[in-house]
Amino acid sequence: MISKFQIAYQNLLRKKARTSLTLIGITLSSWVLVSLLGFNRGYENALDHDIDNMGYQLMVMAKGCPYEAATMMLQGGAGLRYIEQSMVDSIVNRPEVDEVTPILMQAFFDPDKGDGGGIAGYYGIELASYPGMKPFLRFHQGGWFRDEKAAEAVMGYEAAELEQRVVGDMILVPEKNVQLKVVGILERTGTQDDGTIFVPLKTLQQISGIDQITTIGIKIKTDADSTKLETALYQLPDVQVVSFTQVKQTIMKLISTARIMVLSIAIIAVLIAMVGVVNTILMSVLERTQEIGILKTMGAMPGDIFRLVWTETLILCSCGAIAGIALAFVFARISDLLMRSVLPYAPVGELVAIDLKLALLTLVTIVGVGLASGIYPAWKAGRVRPLDSIRSEG
Amino acid sequence: MRPMLRQWKFVFSLSLLFLSVFATPLSAAISCELNYPAGDVARLFPDSNGFTTSDFSFSGRGGAPLLRKVEARLGGVPALYAPLDVPYVLYEVLKGKKRVGYVHGVNQKGQFGVLEVFLSLDLNGTIKAFYLQRISGAWGRKFTSPRFGKQFVGLDLRDFEQYDTVAAKGTGKVASIANPAPEAKTDFLGILRALKKNLVLMDEFFYSAGKGAQ
Repeated sequence: MISKFQIAYQNLLRKKARTSLTLIGITLSSWVLVSLLGFNRGYENALDHDIDNMGYQLMVMAKGCPYEAATMMLQGGAGLRYIEQSMVDSIVNRPEVDEVTPILMQAFFDPDKGDGGGIAGYYGIELASYPGMKPFLRFHQGGWFRDEKAAEAVMGYEAAELEQRVVGDMILVPEKNVQLKVVGILERTGTQDDGTIFVPLKTLQQISGIDQITTIGIKIKTDADSTKLETALYQLPDVQVVSFTQVKQTIMKLISTARIMVLSIAIIAVLIAMVGVVNTILMSVLERTQEIGILKTMGAMPGDIFRLVWTETLILCSCGAIAGIALAFVFARISDLLMRSVLPYAPVGELVAIDLKLALLTLVTIVGVGLASGIYPAWKAGRVRPLDSIRSEG
Repeated sequence: MRPMLRQWKFVFSLSLLFLSVFATPLSAAISCELNYPAGDVARLFPDSNGFTTSDFSFSGRGGAPLLRKVEARLGGVPALYAPLDVPYVLYEVLKGKKRVGYVHGVNQKGQFGVLEVFLSLDLNGTIKAFYLQRISGAWGRKFTSPRFGKQFVGLDLRDFEQYDTVAAKGTGKVASIANPAPEAKTDFLGILRALKKNLVLMDEFFYSAGKGAQ
């Protein structure tokens, strides 16, 4: 016996072009929807990953624009002003603080870099504290510096690849013409560390002729009250406290407008696709009025006709949604690149994160909205009066 | 299945595959490009009035066997060479619509950083100009000076094949080129290696492949 699904499927095949166009509409809308939902999740995850890779949750820096400075640091840029290194001592003994690390960021002009010269960034770190805060850093070659005053450097993977450096090679600090020996090359991390050149803090201070630092990184104890610590740190003179939770919130706020806009576009795309579904099914019902009438004279109840027409909607929406989700998976990287090209700040990592859960959510949404759209045509089909339909011109 | 439908499905699958492959992020391999192509090409090839840009790589032509062959021609030192997926940028120099030569650069390990060494070559593979785009060190100007660069004009791959750029031994015109900065021996030999690498690459990919002919 032929099933309801087979009849509905055959009905859809009668008008192949119309069915295909409707299917394309649903496919595109579900593609857009799942990609944008994936972006909403992926961006936040990537940002969390970037922040976790900082190794510390709070930064203390000289007064200026903390968010700009923090964003610059996330992107591997330079800090803005200097603070006294003695400030580290006033922070380290606080009960909420687990570890503290002083950092000096310096940028030197390299006339041979890029188009018309460029900035070479150096990161002065304390051997006693910084590596402990970033235990996930692994070495491709070599290791950390011998001591806090060594004329040595550890290079991020990309920095070393760009300059074709291996352990034992020398590098030259631009402007200052100071030679440093490369003692370590880090594994690729996919973060700003890949392009960074790390130098012992005291060495970089000596090279720059500065006895201050730009930043203090603070790792808070797991059970400590970070808000209390932040409030206390704000009492220190001429400093700004940057919490990466705040940074994350600020960045998320900045992109929230864009997220709302793209979600609106996705919703509009879904609605347009559903109007297409209503149109297709309704046209199909109107074209088959006589046929429906005959079915009714043969004993079909309004509920049977309703379910038959609704099944057509179900098939259309399910196939379209599955195709759209499949396309979203296949082209996730392209969507990622597109998002990356338009965003002011794109964290490292997967920006469009689509998983099975998200795919199922999209499938359920599309099928649910589709079925709701299919109620009217199905109801109209169920209400067809047999005699009127048979009398009408075919 | 109908032939038309089968063909359509094949084209569609191929397009999907193509797009998904090309959508993958580019590898971190680093190519060597001119900072100011329009001005640089005009300067390196004064009688030209245009150029086109293309790139080539071992992964795109010849693969690992060709890479090994080139490495052997360069003396078999891995540090001389770059991985399979490095895209080499080639500037094909035009005079009107006619191709008159090439500008091509390579990266090479130097004393304090990377050396970016470019050559302009005529269609027979003879050096027309030498251009050192990047070098680190106080002696940089000695190597970027016209006086140093002019020594390479007129040389070709045969001259470099008479000189071992790894052991710094050999005869001929290359052997007679003096190091203008004795304290920068690594950079001097790096430049010679880069030039040889540049010429060998061009030979393998264009001249010997018969693609250098007009």
